[in-house]
Amino acid sequence: MSQKKQNLAAVSTFADHEVIVPPNKLKKAVEKVKPGTKIDFDPVARAEAALAELADDFSVWMEQECLRLDAARNAIRASGVTPGNRDVLFRAAHDIKGQAATFGFPMVAPVADSLCRLIEHAPDPGRVPMPLVDQHVDAIRAITHRNTRGDSNANAARLAEKLRQVTDEFLVHENRDRPDTLESILSPALAPNG
Amino acid sequence: MVRIDFNRLRFLVIDDNAHMRRILRTLLHGFGTREVYEAEDGAAGLEAFTHYSPDIVITDWAMPIFDGMELTQMIRQPGANNNPYVPIIMLTGHSEKKRVIAARDAGVTEFLAKPISAKGLYQRVLNVVANPRPFIRTRSYFGPDRRRNTNPNYIGPERRKGGKAEVIKQQPLLEKAKALL
Repeated sequence: MSQKKQNLAAVSTFADHEVIVPPNKLKKAVEKVKPGTKIDFDPVARAEAALAELADDFSVWMEQECLRLDAARNAIRASGVTPGNRDVLFRAAHDIKGQAATFGFPMVAPVADSLCRLIEHAPDPGRVPMPLVDQHVDAIRAITHRNTRGDSNANAARLAEKLRQVTDEFLVHENRDRPDTLESILSPALAPNG
Repeated sequence: MVRIDFNRLRFLVIDDNAHMRRILRTLLHGFGTREVYEAEDGAAGLEAFTHYSPDIVITDWAMPIFDGMELTQMIRQPGANNNPYVPIIMLTGHSEKKRVIAARDAGVTEFLAKPISAKGLYQRVLNVVANPRPFIRTRSYFGPDRRRNTNPNYIGPERRKGGKAEVIKQQPLLEKAKALL
């Protein structure tokens, strides 16, 4: 088969769609291994070990993320909520939600998740109670600073649960005339964690 | 059984958070990859995609300038670049059903919810490399086949018109991964 032909996608045309089989450029990276062959290299274990070597930095990184969140909160306090500073606060909370467990602070993630929901699903950002935002940010900082690493801190769990409950009550009330949004708020996550 | 030679793959990681980029780079190097390119927003990501022609794109969703969804839609524009078929792994803190479906409909190949794990990332890469899906083009969609398998119990109407079944049955990812690990 010529090189040119190898680079072409195979296209099957149907009544309302096409099925395209692109040239498989990644085939070069697939190695077939005979059953029973001993494999010395475990890529997952090696990647986990490499990540573990970064662990000394995680506390510092988490502190940096908390400072970023605090600054975003202070910007809203100073000048009121705007689409710009609301977005900055959301992204700071969202990053903490996604990274806290990796950094060794899993108890922080549910609080950050609750804050993200509060920001994202409130139809009128101006009606989001600032004290509720403050409670989330302060809880994230407190759980981080008290070094409640691991997932056994009952106080942190209760705090996260309470904040989530208050947030959900607020969101359900604010979205009471928006059935689609309500469904989205109350439906469980679909994607499994990484 | 298959294994992936990561040394032969080039990755582009797009995330506005420097810590997450560092974690991804560390994991990918741990798998054995040498070439990992980085970009910190969607615009820089698109530029890096055009410049480096990576084999696999890993992108965050929420980013400044334009986000991971918009980036995916731009990459999936036929004729806009030299590889609209590139596998795109969306790595995001968003895990709600609405978000997952929106990502799928934008042409994302795999979805990986944070917090990230080495195993989760490895499985997604394994899937896009060892089980590439055909692409479907309709009037409203261009991207990887959204039907990953056939459901023998499905009793609704066939929404695709045109005769023969075009779904390619694949070995479940979990079995492949189990065989490998």
